[in-house]
Amino acid sequence: MKYLVLLFSNLLCTAAMADNEYNLLRSDATGFAQVAPGLELSFPEDHLPHPDYRIEWWYLTANLTDSDGRHWGVHWTLFRQSLSPEPDPGGWQSTQVWMAHSALSTPESHLYEERFARGGIGQADVALNADGRFDAWLDDWQWLGTGADPLPGKLTITVGESQIELSLASDNPWVLQGENGYSQKAPSGQASAYYSQPHISISGSIDHDGQQVTVSGTGWLDREWSSQPLAPEQPGWDWFSLHLESGDALMVYQLRDSSQPNTLNGIWVTADGDFTSLSGGQIQLMAGRESSVMTQAGARQMPLNWTIRVPQFEVDIRVDALRAEHWLDTLFPYWEGPVRVSGSHQGQGYMELTGY
Amino acid sequence: MKTERLRRIGWVSRVLLSHYRQHPLQAVFLLLGLTLGVALWSAVQLINDHARASYAEANQFLGAEAHFWVRAKGDGARVAQGDYIQLRRQGFTELYPIIETRIRTAQDNWLTLLATDFMALPVSDASSSDTGSTTPFVGDALAFMTKPYVTAIPEELATRLGIDNGDQIQLTNGQRLPPASLQSRPQQGERLVMDMAAAFEILNRDSFDYLGVTQLTDTKEQALRRVLPATLTLVSNQQSLDLQELTDSLHIQLSAMGWLSFVVGLFIVFNAVRFSLWMRQTTLTTLREMGIGLGDLTFAIAVEALLWSLLGTVLGGGLGFLLGNLLLPTVSSSLGSLYGAVISPAVTLNPGHMIQAAIMTVLGVIVALAGPIWLSAKRSIRQQRSADAVNPLQSKGLIMQRFLALALLLSAGLLVGHINSVQGGFVLLALVLLGSALSLPPILYSFFRNLERVMPASWWRLRWAMRDAFAQLPHLRIAMMALLLALVANLGVSTLVGSFRTALTDWLSVRLSADLYVQSSTMRSNTLLASTTSMVSASHERIGLNLRWGNRPTDIRGVNPLAPDMRALPLAMAEPDALARWASADDADGTLPILASEQVHHLGGVELGDKISLSTDTGPADFKVIGFFYDYGNPYYAFYLPKNTVARYWTASQPLGLALWLDDASLSDIEPALLAAGAEPGDWIDQRQLMSVALQIFDRTFAITGALNTLTLGVAGVALFAALMSVHQQRLSQYAHWRALGVNRLEWLLIVGCPLTGMVVITGLLTIPLGAALSALLIYDINVIAFGWSMPLTWKWQPVGWLAVMTALTLMITGFAALWRVQRQLPNTLMRLGGQ
Repeated sequence: MKYLVLLFSNLLCTAAMADNEYNLLRSDATGFAQVAPGLELSFPEDHLPHPDYRIEWWYLTANLTDSDGRHWGVHWTLFRQSLSPEPDPGGWQSTQVWMAHSALSTPESHLYEERFARGGIGQADVALNADGRFDAWLDDWQWLGTGADPLPGKLTITVGESQIELSLASDNPWVLQGENGYSQKAPSGQASAYYSQPHISISGSIDHDGQQVTVSGTGWLDREWSSQPLAPEQPGWDWFSLHLESGDALMVYQLRDSSQPNTLNGIWVTADGDFTSLSGGQIQLMAGRESSVMTQAGARQMPLNWTIRVPQFEVDIRVDALRAEHWLDTLFPYWEGPVRVSGSHQGQGYMELTGY
Repeated sequence: MKTERLRRIGWVSRVLLSHYRQHPLQAVFLLLGLTLGVALWSAVQLINDHARASYAEANQFLGAEAHFWVRAKGDGARVAQGDYIQLRRQGFTELYPIIETRIRTAQDNWLTLLATDFMALPVSDASSSDTGSTTPFVGDALAFMTKPYVTAIPEELATRLGIDNGDQIQLTNGQRLPPASLQSRPQQGERLVMDMAAAFEILNRDSFDYLGVTQLTDTKEQALRRVLPATLTLVSNQQSLDLQELTDSLHIQLSAMGWLSFVVGLFIVFNAVRFSLWMRQTTLTTLREMGIGLGDLTFAIAVEALLWSLLGTVLGGGLGFLLGNLLLPTVSSSLGSLYGAVISPAVTLNPGHMIQAAIMTVLGVIVALAGPIWLSAKRSIRQQRSADAVNPLQSKGLIMQRFLALALLLSAGLLVGHINSVQGGFVLLALVLLGSALSLPPILYSFFRNLERVMPASWWRLRWAMRDAFAQLPHLRIAMMALLLALVANLGVSTLVGSFRTALTDWLSVRLSADLYVQSSTMRSNTLLASTTSMVSASHERIGLNLRWGNRPTDIRGVNPLAPDMRALPLAMAEPDALARWASADDADGTLPILASEQVHHLGGVELGDKISLSTDTGPADFKVIGFFYDYGNPYYAFYLPKNTVARYWTASQPLGLALWLDDASLSDIEPALLAAGAEPGDWIDQRQLMSVALQIFDRTFAITGALNTLTLGVAGVALFAALMSVHQQRLSQYAHWRALGVNRLEWLLIVGCPLTGMVVITGLLTIPLGAALSALLIYDINVIAFGWSMPLTWKWQPVGWLAVMTALTLMITGFAALWRVQRQLPNTLMRLGGQ
């Protein structure tokens, strides 16, 4: 099969291919809708796709524990991309394309899978189904809400031969990042619409390696869309979503910048769902020593332990990756994996490192 | 001691080789013979290997190494989008949709179009490969998937079609393909590749030809079989195996032609060697007299042989490579139109082929060069000094040759009727050809001897001419043998192709008796027939499906036995009253009668009255074969049953198209009704067009045969020229004597030309019965065994005339070239004669 794939992918990937996979996120967004300040989100409509914007994602990470107390991590992302600012003609001519990643961090290893699909033909989409339920799918990977909301809902995915079925629920309101969901990514105005649900309680089962384990834990859903989230001089970002034992949740990210100070943002969410947006001055984020991570292109250096301080909430924590080998050699390669929190607070979470 | 010997051998070699400096033309002919023989042989070898490698590649490209296809049941049936999406949503991500179809350009070129959904292709495999580049989202992917789309065209094909980047190929229906992007990929073959969205638009379709399936685990395969809709079937991909088997015969035929050229080429070498040997006889003798041992002489000759082999390998292998690339498009199109095989457009040279070429050259040199030289070197000095240079091998050699020829022809005679493989057929063919070739010189000798005997003494000039034949024959006989071989092969093959064309045309005109053929996935036949009762006198709607029988793909066709084309179905072999019994499904002896294609008989070994078992929906069912119909051009087996029988046994059988016989109505009268019934423009074709397409395919299929034939004849022409040059070179002093005696130019031409013409005429005349025998062998044995198609031999004098003209032209050109040379050299020789 390799050959067919190679033929086609060779056709696809000519010299025109960018030297950096993330250029898509930086490329000129002329013609597409732009996220602007004063954004007003409304639910459940905004759980569905925004095809006028170039890119969009539904991003779930979860730290789970089985009955033996072993740690499992699950990460599932559905990306949408619009190939053209023109109105989508639908069907086979649809300008919407979909990409999804599923990854499983078992007590021993890390596995992941990547899939693509074109929009318009029913193979992938996010929509309300005939019963009016939220339905996000690509092939047999599916997030099906019980109503028009994704939560409560059920996620059914596979990673290679492993099968994962998780029930997801949350009593908390949606957390709007930045200013009411308007999240500025660079001083030059790059921005996205961004909301999250940091408190998702999860229970379910994982079929892995011929064994079925029952798992439970907490998850974090990020929803974001934009037409140009990165400025040209931003090579990548570091993103942390952490569940602290106090019941609070902390999200921090920095967009590294080659020409000016990094853009730092975050949010503090209490167990009840009250949230406080954090901006650069309120967060200190320090990378520890760089570690070597194996990728297809050889070893890459990146920091796998970090120190985060948020004086306003008396947070002074150290974040350590559970394991170094969580690199995803996907079309857009990145590091994504579970982390342990120690210091002023104990906890766990997920970390994402891109552009290394 | 050793170095001294080496030096001595080097010195002997130099003496021997210096001969070619004096007679460069001989070196040229020697090399020409080797080069041409090896080149044609290795070209064919290259093409065969390349084609076989392509089958495996085509397989990987199309159906993946994983080996499955999901196809709709029934010929021409397609896979609905809904079914595909449903399967993907059930987790069968190994599936991807394919459209693979032939399209016709406005310039009347048939091209294969391949389309898929770039996004659906499984990427996990590729990401683990070493190239690591799987980026459907990036770069050109967007261009492929978004308007105006892109057509990826292999560069060689684009060059042939005269297409540049950005050009849009126009189709017969006026549609234009997306802008071309010239890019050759190893597995693309000669196919155009585009995105599914573009293909749907251009072809005005909404369903796939089939789904490709990558590697499936056993569990997954079982699961897929369980959930597959009833209209779809999972078939393991045997395309590569099938292609290997189906095309085998064609490749053997090509090989046979390559060998023939090799043999003809060897004749040239042999001739050149004999001549160079004759010229060097004095040298060899002198060397022996000077005390050079036989061992050293042999060694020196071996060095010479090695030198020629080396040159022959490089030139023959190189020319073979060029020739292979030149002939490949013709072979590709044969393979494509016969078997649907996809051959990538360029032959690549690998060390294996050069080694093969080297082995062949060494073999050729040993046979043609080393043998005679060594024999001559071995002859005692006394023998050599007294040997009659002009009349060697006269009686003893001839008798030997006559016996050998007789033995070959006799064993051929014994073999006739016992041939059951293509290889065996070609062994027989080789025996006949070589036997005939060897019997030519004895025939020529006795012809001239007898002619001379019956001539009255007063015709002294003619008698002289007849006598002169004996001076020419020793040198020309090998060229004549080569000429005979080439002519016989030519006549045999062109009779085969001509007979086939006649049989095919006759057969098509009976089989394609309807005026109009409609194949449409959207048309409702009943609507059409109800609305056209006044225009249509008869109609025939067939159904069918494909399955495997006798380890070959097999077509099952459900036909209407009362349709006009079925009532006149030409049968190659049948039990009495077969058509009527078959039509009435007369199962008096408990099994239903069935008609089978003659391939089932010739290749499958089924006899009239045999029972065959076909796998049906309800398990295997037996049928009795009561007749064999002709089915030219179909590489698969085929069975005909009445339509209701097929529908009963195979619920998945699909409509195959509708044939219409019109009542005084023209095509334009019925077109509105066709459109109204749901057919789309391009869904129908009239009889004349269909016929011309079929014959066009036929001609393309046999183009390679014609090309190889012409080349072989060319090689034989060179052989004749080389022989004439050598014979005249050798006899220059004789001619000088004649001139001195007062023989004028015209008389000289008469004396030398008459026997030459006589020889060619006799060779030509012998060609006719031998060519007829060869074509009979090809038609009645080899073709039947190779393809399973039988046909009557149609003898035509036109190719004979054509060959006669060609031969006469060759003779004239070579004769005059030789004459011109003699005239130029004669004065020198005369001077030398005067000096003696």
